[in-house]
Amino acid sequence: MSAQIELSNIDKHYGAFHALKGVSLSIEKGSFVALVGPSGCGKSTLLRSIAGLETITSGSLKIAGETMTGVPPRKRDVAMVFQSYALYPHMTVEENLTYSLRLHGVSKAEAKLKAAEVAATTGLSALLKRYPRELSGGQRQRVAMGRAIIRNPKAFLFDEPLSNLDAALRVHMRKEIRALHDRLGATSVYVTHDQIEAMTMADHVVVMRDGVIEQQGSPLELYDRPVSKFVAGFIGSPAMNFVPGTVGADGQSVQLDISDSLSLPLGRKVDAGRKVLVGLRPEHLLVAEAASLRLPVAVVESTGSMTYVTTDTTPELTVVETRRMGVKAGDVIGVSIAPEHIHLFDMATEKAI
Amino acid sequence: MSRIFNSMRDGVGFDLILVGAALLFLLALAGLPLVYNVLMSFQQVDMFTLGTLIRPWAGFTNYVDVVRQPEFWLVAKNTLIFVFASMAGQFVIGFSLALFFAQKFPGAATIRGLFLVSWVMPGLVVGAIWSWILAGDFGVLNTILKSLGIIQETVFWKSDPNYSIWAVVIANIWLGTAFNMLLLAVGLAAIPRDLYEAAELDGANAFQRFWTITLPMMRSTIGAVLSLGLIGTLQQFDLFPAITEGGPANTSSVAGYWSWQMSFQLYDFAKGATISVMMFLLVLFASVIYVRSTRHEVRG
Repeated sequence: MSAQIELSNIDKHYGAFHALKGVSLSIEKGSFVALVGPSGCGKSTLLRSIAGLETITSGSLKIAGETMTGVPPRKRDVAMVFQSYALYPHMTVEENLTYSLRLHGVSKAEAKLKAAEVAATTGLSALLKRYPRELSGGQRQRVAMGRAIIRNPKAFLFDEPLSNLDAALRVHMRKEIRALHDRLGATSVYVTHDQIEAMTMADHVVVMRDGVIEQQGSPLELYDRPVSKFVAGFIGSPAMNFVPGTVGADGQSVQLDISDSLSLPLGRKVDAGRKVLVGLRPEHLLVAEAASLRLPVAVVESTGSMTYVTTDTTPELTVVETRRMGVKAGDVIGVSIAPEHIHLFDMATEKAI
Repeated sequence: MSRIFNSMRDGVGFDLILVGAALLFLLALAGLPLVYNVLMSFQQVDMFTLGTLIRPWAGFTNYVDVVRQPEFWLVAKNTLIFVFASMAGQFVIGFSLALFFAQKFPGAATIRGLFLVSWVMPGLVVGAIWSWILAGDFGVLNTILKSLGIIQETVFWKSDPNYSIWAVVIANIWLGTAFNMLLLAVGLAAIPRDLYEAAELDGANAFQRFWTITLPMMRSTIGAVLSLGLIGTLQQFDLFPAITEGGPANTSSVAGYWSWQMSFQLYDFAKGATISVMMFLLVLFASVIYVRSTRHEVRG
């Protein structure tokens, strides 16, 4: 395995605004990397820098081993799928697909053949003579994908490609994009603000915040061992509960501020008496009659498969149960959690302990 | 009775009043003169029948007479030169300026706005200014060209039969460029940025992007600009009395100006009307293209 895209110490300034701050990232050949984070975190800027649509202020960027400084986008051999799809409105689907081939002097017959091939993989065969305005959102999305595939580029760059689709289609396209990636053995960089997309599609997730990489790793690594409160809160749905607490005198347990009598065993040693932020994932909180942590219930929402319980505490906790429960507002439930599922964060730095 | 009144206040009646007012206005101020003009071109008109509507029928005599006028082909040639040279100049310079100001640089919008000065100026004033600039003996254009070494001899732009029509063309290009630039700039601004980015990633260089994205996306705008340019140029009148008065010896006279001369200097209203009907057919043709091109919008 070699790095297909190698970023080191990338900085990007827009006037006084520091959009990317010393970003270093290595993207393996054939991997699917998701850049995820809230809006304004710099993920799109990073993607556009790889494409060459933004010039980086400093740092080095290599694609397939070649330094890309000063190389215009058209010579980088990367393909991008835009959020708006950016289909050429005055061209048919076929012309859209073959545009890059025609620019590179591929013969008409060969381009047509290639277009038919790509149309078959993306399910566009019947639509080749249509104009983009005659297509549905999902079909346009496929054309945008096809336009990228046809070139067989060094890397695929996706800029929130699914955010203009409805929820059902988005779930479907998620799988399709991933399957396409695997079939082509391509290298993909995928920008999204939706952590579910990042978690389900990517081999490697990069969480960004304010122009820096907060944490990167496999989806489960990020879920299991978030390095900060930000990552912990961003990854996972519903979001992790955060409760202030104090580490007990033995350094082996933590006392939650919402329940003064009880301490949860940690299964590891932390500085005794330290004020911490305790992170508890809703799905790790188990409702058990005999459990010693007892919490009053404020709201119960059931989707049929899941029951979401919101507790009447400050701050409130969310508990997710897959079992059916006869719990209603006003009841008191017992909740337990395994020691390895308790996350601790520093009060001031919000870094994991 | 009250139902009719109600419908006029809030209903179909009200719509009819609005449409009717606009139609009445058009009929009275554009339709009737047009019909009267066409009618006049088929009649014998002299000073004594000027005030009557029904005059002796002339058939196509006026048309034949106009074509047989010794200056007809000269004026036709001048009109073609004037229209196509002006349009080409206005369009090419206007498009270049529009592309130039579409680049993001400080003050781009402000400077582009200042260019509109030429467009808001009255044609007679523009004509007077260019009349001075083009003057043979003291004109600034000659001075500049001479000091640059482009010409040796003084060029009498306005009175040399070889140049007189070009004197008006130059002034007209200056007058119309800003309007072209404005419309084309609007068309350019309407092309989404990401199309260019997609094309750039697909491997298109600047020239290819212009040829495969900008031009096709601007098709309707360009059609509109060219049609409006044709109409505007055929209608151009002010510059002629201000610069050359059609002279010398009709070498800078065009159809519009000739028609005016026929009617209001020679009082041959029939021929004047005939010339304007001929022009009208040309403008009609341009209008059809204009309407068609704006209907064929290709926006995603």
